[in-house]
Amino acid sequence: MLRRFLFLLSTLIVAIQSAEENDGGARLLVSKQILNRYIVEDMDVIVKYTLYNIGSSPAVNVVLKDNSFSEEVFKVVGGFLNIKIPRIPPATNVTHITVLKPIVDGFYNFTAAEVSYQNSDESAKVQVAISSEPGEGYIVAFRDYDKKFSPHLLDWCAFAIMTFPSLAIPFFLWWSSKSKYDSFSKPKKSTKDN
Amino acid sequence: MFHCKVLLCIAILSLISSSLGTVCSNPQIEAKTYTTQDGTVITNVAFVARFSLKCDNGARELPLYAEINGKTFPVVISGKEHYQVSWVEDVKTAKSGSHDVNLFDEEGYAQLRKAIRNNEDVSAVKPLSQIQVPHPGTYQGPWLNSEFLAVVLSLIVWYSAFSTKSKLLS
Repeated sequence: MLRRFLFLLSTLIVAIQSAEENDGGARLLVSKQILNRYIVEDMDVIVKYTLYNIGSSPAVNVVLKDNSFSEEVFKVVGGFLNIKIPRIPPATNVTHITVLKPIVDGFYNFTAAEVSYQNSDESAKVQVAISSEPGEGYIVAFRDYDKKFSPHLLDWCAFAIMTFPSLAIPFFLWWSSKSKYDSFSKPKKSTKDN
Repeated sequence: MFHCKVLLCIAILSLISSSLGTVCSNPQIEAKTYTTQDGTVITNVAFVARFSLKCDNGARELPLYAEINGKTFPVVISGKEHYQVSWVEDVKTAKSGSHDVNLFDEEGYAQLRKAIRNNEDVSAVKPLSQIQVPHPGTYQGPWLNSEFLAVVLSLIVWYSAFSTKSKLLS
């Protein structure tokens, strides 16, 4: 029932560049990863955006917008989904983390985030890029997850209580008869000793 | 003459705007932090600090930098006054306790980079402000499986019963 979803191996998608792009200017590679083993309803989902500038000049006014998380399925618990990075120098990584919690279960298609930036300080042209897509994932219902992975302490306690009478009643019977015979034998012993 | 005045005005305005844009006087920070505490479903622990910064001189959308345990990160901006610093650590190496985030403006960041480059004491550079990100620890499942505990308990019961029985029979 529970399927494994490893999203760590998400591929980098090269920022969309126009064909006649010259060598100068910033070029951003944007990856979007989900750092989870399982995606479970009402538990943290970590989304990591990595922006890397492979160009020769800094990317300016980088705006990252992620509208792929619908409000009916996810609520944001930490971080922002729409951000701006004033400047990414060449050969520099910038990471951004957002933590979400799914509120419903079922399949969900994790699509790309959008990035727009100016490819140098002088350039007024806005470059648009999209990130990699983590792909489709399954949000496991919390009940199913709990059934499989919780320590089941309550269940074991119930089991212990249920098995207790079958162990305790024979023991109690034996104990009462033993103490009865002990009380018979003790006076004898005491008379013998005397 | 008129052109000169216009140029002067532009020069003054650009000076004011540049000084407004990079320097924050009397910063007031309100931070909200979030860390992932359940390590059973995640591969990395996320630390997220979002904060709002208010300056007396009204500076907004400042380019800020953060320093955490000797690593520097650019601070991302959301809206006019909100900022965010976030990073991930491996579940096994993420330490519990308070993580200090030192915030620097561009001037402070330049000094910090210089200090790092010259192997000088980084703590000598005064940060613009500091945020503490508390992390109570990451839950990685129970340290003792309940199944194991149940087996051990049942073995103890069985052994005590068996030893008493053999004592009675002998």
